[in-house]
Amino acid sequence: MEPESKKRKGMEYDPDSWQVLPVLSDEMSDDVEFLDAFAAPITDKRQTSRLVKDLSAVHPISDLQHIRRVRPCKDKSSPHPLEVIVCLVSDVPHIKGRPASLGDLLSSDEFNLEGLGEPFPVRIPARAPLTRPQFEQASLHWPTSFHEDKRITLGLKGQLFTSRQKTKIHEYMTLAVEAAKSGREEGMDAVGGVIVDPKSGRIVAVGHDLTRDHPLHHAVMVCIDLVAWAQGGGVYGYEKHPACTYAAMDHQVQTGASGSVENAQPYICTGYELYVTREPCVMCAMALVHSRIGRVFYGVPSPDGALGTKFKIHCQKGLNHHFDVYQGVRRRSCEELVQLT
Amino acid sequence: MRTDDTGNDGMNGNFLHPSDSEIQKWMSNAFNMAKEALECGEVPVGCLLVYNNTVLGKGRNEVNETKNATRHAEMVALDQVLDWCSDRGMDPKVVCKSTVLYVTVEPCITCAAALRLLHVPLVVYGCKNERFGGCGSVLDVASGDLPHTGTSFKCVPGHRAQEAVDMLKTFYKQENPNVTKPKVRKEGIDPAGGSRTTQTEAAPLEDDRKMATSD
Ligand SMILES: [Zn+2]
Ligand SMILES: [Zn+2]
Repeated sequence: MEPESKKRKGMEYDPDSWQVLPVLSDEMSDDVEFLDAFAAPITDKRQTSRLVKDLSAVHPISDLQHIRRVRPCKDKSSPHPLEVIVCLVSDVPHIKGRPASLGDLLSSDEFNLEGLGEPFPVRIPARAPLTRPQFEQASLHWPTSFHEDKRITLGLKGQLFTSRQKTKIHEYMTLAVEAAKSGREEGMDAVGGVIVDPKSGRIVAVGHDLTRDHPLHHAVMVCIDLVAWAQGGGVYGYEKHPACTYAAMDHQVQTGASGSVENAQPYICTGYELYVTREPCVMCAMALVHSRIGRVFYGVPSPDGALGTKFKIHCQKGLNHHFDVYQGVRRRSCEELVQLT
Repeated sequence: MRTDDTGNDGMNGNFLHPSDSEIQKWMSNAFNMAKEALECGEVPVGCLLVYNNTVLGKGRNEVNETKNATRHAEMVALDQVLDWCSDRGMDPKVVCKSTVLYVTVEPCITCAAALRLLHVPLVVYGCKNERFGGCGSVLDVASGDLPHTGTSFKCVPGHRAQEAVDMLKTFYKQENPNVTKPKVRKEGIDPAGGSRTTQTEAAPLEDDRKMATSD
């Protein structure tokens, strides 16, 4: 996806200012973890490859594939241009704190110390960074490799979506907000949702909370059942709730109702997008996994939310379906809804 | 959320934990349901909701016919309890607080959350659900710290677990005879958008699409 074009940036096309931000896994959003290590200057550059080879034999760091063993010296005025990792602190448990000399780390009987200067402590990133902010944080301490996912980098800057895409996202969330208000008028919690087929732009279902009628009918559960109706299934009736609607599928896709499998047949919410005013609870979040939702946009977090707050069901290890989640869409309007409830 | 107002106030004082013989009786009932389902070529999961020695809900998986991936046996049975309450003008919360779920397989994350939201205090189950389980296998929704998601509940796991696993294995073998070769992953059966799995090694694996429609 293209970044928001420079020309458009800063142009207020939306009075309700908001930014779409991805909800990333803990691995991606946590601070970088570091390991304590000792490094030493390479005082004789010609010894570099030998030193690296010999150090790797004595103190291998092969489980830290992302780490470059040698780095250029940060201090440009330094007499030696390169520094090398001698070992991890955990490799030399007998050393308490700062080693007195190289001899404490490497036995001079067995190791040719030629070309190595006096050791000093460093911190090296324990794992390869997954995001640019992690990469930048890690690089302050020691160089590391980084396979950048541009979508994530843009996402974290709030630049993943073009202005046109943001306008669409805004439009769909506006429908969800309106549905929430209709629900509120019926005495329900002010939560609304919209399910869209992004390929055609078709709005498949619009629903809102119905917990006054049924304690499990959160807006998302209602939307999922409305999608089932759109596909010729469905469980509950919505006649009394005019803001809960669905658009029946076109004929072509409606076939294949039985258990017989046609691979072209979309399975429930496969590829669809959900726009919901507040972060789904754990019941609803897992229902979206079962329904194979494509991606989810929500307005504001909720206290027991399961797409970022209490759990991250969308990237939960062990589950067979993962999806992208973005939050912050029409944040202000969605916050106002929370006040209503 | 309307169902949230009490938070985690634990079990209700007048709720009586079922005796061993009650557990055996209701679980044998649930296993019979699972067997019947298996004989009819359906997902072999049996589930009962019992209130004061009366069965208020008896569910079977209805995902296929409703095209709603959340129509697990537990959800179907919970709806029957809610209907029972509304027919009698009874408060579902009061009833659910004294209701026990007996089910042959650990409830998934969605169903576990639904049980919390309705304040069901106890779940007795057969085998683990390694791929979707909400009572500890994937996530612990049952006892997790979720003050806005109803009441936490207790579990009595492992009742006739091997039998429950065997039924699921049999089901997936008949269902999909082409895919019975054990694959690299050792996760067990993945029945579709959500039901169940087992932790036994030889459990046949399904191709996801097939499972998607078979459950
Ligand atoms: Zn919910
Ligand atoms: Zn379930």
